[in-house]
Amino acid sequence: MTSRTEQTLTYTILGLFSLLALAPIVGIVFTALQNPDNVNAFGSFDGIHLGNFKDAWEQGNFGSYLKSSAIVTVTVVVVAGTLSILSGYAFGLMRFRGSGVLFYVFLLGLMVPMEAMIVPLYYDLRDLSLTDTYWALILPQIATSVAFGTFWMRAFFRSVPRSLVEAARIDGATSWFTLWRVLLPLAKPAVLTMTVLLFMWTWNEFLLALVMVTDEGLRTAPLGLSFFQGRNTSNLTLLAAGSVIVATPVVVVYMFLQRHFIRGMLSGAVKG
Amino acid sequence: MSAIEPATPTSPASAVAGGAAGAEAKPDWPLGGTRPEARPPGEPRRVGYLYILPAFLILAGLILYPLGHAVYLSLWHWDGLTTGTWAGLENYADVVSDPALRSSFAHALVLLAFYALLPVAIGLLIAGLVARAQVRGLAFFRTVIFLPQVIAMVVVAVMWRMIYEPENGALNELLRAVGLGSLTQSWLGDFDLALPSVGGIATWVYYGLAMVLLTAGVQKIPQSLYDAARVDGAGPVREFFAVTLPGLRGEIAVALTLTTIFALRNFDLVYITTKGGPGDATSVPAFEVYDRAFQTGQVGSAAAIGISLAVVIFLISVLINRVAERGAR
Amino acid sequence: MAEVRFIDVDKRYGGVDAVRGVSLDIADGEFMVFVGPSGSGKTTALRMLAGLESISGGQITIGDRVVNDVAPRERDIAMVFQDYALYPQMTVFDNLAFGLRRRKVPKDEIARRVARAAEALDLGRYLRRKPGQLSGGQAQRVALGRALVRDPQVFLMDEPLSNLDAKLRTQTRGEIKRLQQEVGRTTVYVTHDQVEAMTMGDRIAVMNDGVLEQVGTPEELYERPANRFVAGFIGSPAMAFFDADVVAADGGARLRCGAVDVVLPGVGGLPAEVTVGVRPECARPWEEGDGRLVGPVSGVVEYVEALGRETFVGVDAGGARVVVHCEGRAALQPGDAIEFGIAPAGLRFFACDSGLALPTAVEAAR
Ligand SMILES: Nc1ncnc2c1ncn2[C@@H]1O[C@H](COP(=O)(O)OP(=O)(O)OP(=O)(O)O)[C@@H](O)[C@H]1O
Ligand SMILES: [Mg+2]
Repeated sequence: MTSRTEQTLTYTILGLFSLLALAPIVGIVFTALQNPDNVNAFGSFDGIHLGNFKDAWEQGNFGSYLKSSAIVTVTVVVVAGTLSILSGYAFGLMRFRGSGVLFYVFLLGLMVPMEAMIVPLYYDLRDLSLTDTYWALILPQIATSVAFGTFWMRAFFRSVPRSLVEAARIDGATSWFTLWRVLLPLAKPAVLTMTVLLFMWTWNEFLLALVMVTDEGLRTAPLGLSFFQGRNTSNLTLLAAGSVIVATPVVVVYMFLQRHFIRGMLSGAVKG
Repeated sequence: MSAIEPATPTSPASAVAGGAAGAEAKPDWPLGGTRPEARPPGEPRRVGYLYILPAFLILAGLILYPLGHAVYLSLWHWDGLTTGTWAGLENYADVVSDPALRSSFAHALVLLAFYALLPVAIGLLIAGLVARAQVRGLAFFRTVIFLPQVIAMVVVAVMWRMIYEPENGALNELLRAVGLGSLTQSWLGDFDLALPSVGGIATWVYYGLAMVLLTAGVQKIPQSLYDAARVDGAGPVREFFAVTLPGLRGEIAVALTLTTIFALRNFDLVYITTKGGPGDATSVPAFEVYDRAFQTGQVGSAAAIGISLAVVIFLISVLINRVAERGAR
Repeated sequence: MAEVRFIDVDKRYGGVDAVRGVSLDIADGEFMVFVGPSGSGKTTALRMLAGLESISGGQITIGDRVVNDVAPRERDIAMVFQDYALYPQMTVFDNLAFGLRRRKVPKDEIARRVARAAEALDLGRYLRRKPGQLSGGQAQRVALGRALVRDPQVFLMDEPLSNLDAKLRTQTRGEIKRLQQEVGRTTVYVTHDQVEAMTMGDRIAVMNDGVLEQVGTPEELYERPANRFVAGFIGSPAMAFFDADVVAADGGARLRCGAVDVVLPGVGGLPAEVTVGVRPECARPWEEGDGRLVGPVSGVVEYVEALGRETFVGVDAGGARVVVHCEGRAALQPGDAIEFGIAPAGLRFFACDSGLALPTAVEAAR
């Protein structure tokens, strides 16, 4: 149907933008692999020197940062994911008085940016002696994640055929049993996509960590990287290696799940 | 409408086998009157509150309460340590009148073009091309183009600082390599260039998001619409404006809303790349919030900026979705 | 024992009256079909019986129990959904066993009952498969099986055949009927297809616009429709109607409308103006000397529907439109002139204003 030139044009443009997306990423990986004793320039390739990662890991204390990030991220994803499934189920499939208004409260939570809440959050959590603890990183992040997750899961549950729920009800299943054994197996793509998004956003969150913790042992990976940069502005290879370390966990998760993840994004995006 | 109906006269229901319908009483509802919206027996309803409760408590404690607290704080002059003084709406007046704040909001609007308009334009270009051809390997292109999304903004910022670095940064090196050495710049250090340079990073991050959303939308447009347009003799351009663009209205609204929110919330990118500089050439509201609350002791002002930011985000989102819906009719 | 009884049942959705004042007794073991045009309230009535919708007014009883406030799981019913509603991630076996497990039936008993249902429905080979790996007909049988294993007091089915192709539908129709007779359970079956209703139902409840128009055996509905709606809804091709003047004539009534001007012997007691209903099989091409026909009536052919063994011809007799039934193929074209006769015994009369059936002397004699 379409002409050959058009096909070529399409692939050229897709290729161009793919290249544009990839080039800086490849560049920083190459930089991280450069020989630190040479004159370093971003993006040039001069062999594979994995020693940079070891140096960065030791000098930059990245082990501790990654551990903090892992604790925070896993807790947030598990708790927020579970709570979102529960509330999304109720909003999507149950009719109860005030559900409309309550849902608007959740939408509000989705709209209000962290930047608007960070100031009072800091003072509130400080009054509770929670700053400089993992709780200060976990609790606010759970809140914003739950707002999104509820919205996301509700859209999924609304798309489930009602008759399935009714069949289960006639068969004698409770609402709890119906959720976990009948509906959740169907929700796998939606839950998976939600998990990746929450993982990504939590891992990458910066402002919250910057404001809430001063204790070096609690710093998350992005925060740690920003301090590492402050100390090593001139050492290109070391900084590049640190950056790669911080970015890798999310990229790995994304690579493993990208098939399902993108499919979930595609089907979920415009429903809600 | 149920409220104005007279209550059905009730009497104890008797299940007389074969009783005449006229003698048969309607059942006696516990609350008196009819219950047109009565719940089907066995349908979970009240238990819905229980399902929502934990999420709601978290939301109430960590979003609603702080939001109220933010509004309260925004009405005071407070340095975070000593006793504050009542400010009324002065902090909000400053948002409009203080030149430093005004320019930070203006910068945010400029960044909107880079965060939202440019990525969506690129996404549309790709979607328009994909609409006309069966592209093999589209999933691969999607995965790659989406990749910048998943990298922490802090990492992105560190990376682009290296690229923008005036001495031996990759961008200037590239320009020199292709013989355009005269165009080399101090990208993040120049008063006029810093803001668009930061914006360029955002475009790099977000065109993948727009592309994924929009190409997905294109695949939901029925092929018959394209066939009809072709039968009517539409060329590629007409086809784009007559079929693809209207068909993508919903997806465009989603992409614009998301990227707009990201644009207005932008903090980490500016914090890492320029810290608002040079001068305040790249200061943005979110950066001002942080700076005032935690560096210069203007907590009330910071809270007011945060609230204003939330309001602006809300209004723009509503506006975008209104326009999209109006177009649908 | 499970008689089902609707007593003056109403259902309102906001301002919409989906079901109004339905009263109906369904005997134990009876196969009752709800039939009616789209939006007539059949599904709503069935869902109220299932407990999936609340009842706005009146009562429903199953056995001796008023079930208005009884949860579906306590009603001892099983339902077959139009889209089958099979649990997609479970195997066929697990789908069949689901309801029994929820009711804490012992394991070996579950296995026995599932095996029996699988055999009755010829599903043995598919027990390990997931619903997504089944054809439409197989999925439909699994849905039936899921109801069957439960061995409930009442079976409910909402258009269970509408997603099957025509041939499979006819076949499954017979199968459901046979199974129902074997297990002898009360069954309520919803369909909008009157052929399905006529072939399957012990009795049929015709609904229209939320109201129960008539309940009766297929034969009763066909032979003695209570009103013009039922007469027109039951039977295919549909009964043809026209309004005619009635004049008393010697030994009967003279009926006039357009080109129709016939004397019906033995008919009496009709008002001056009636709606006449003519079933296709009562209008046949005119043959001189056929004593069962009155006529001739001449008209113009409007359309020809040739089915092979028989042909239905739409005729306009000067304003009165009638469908004429011919044996075999009829060499007719639209626009041709045709003469036909009417068998008086097959005519039905309805009041012009209310649409209610009018008794006639002929009918009284029968
Ligand atoms: N949830 C609802 N809210 C409002 N009105 C409804 C609802 N469900 C059904 N109705 C209305 O009630 C009436 C009866 O609907 P019902 O589904 O019982 O029809 P039906 O006879 O099953 O039709 P069909 O053959 O098309 O399935 C219709 O006018 C319908 O619009
Ligand atoms: Mg129906």
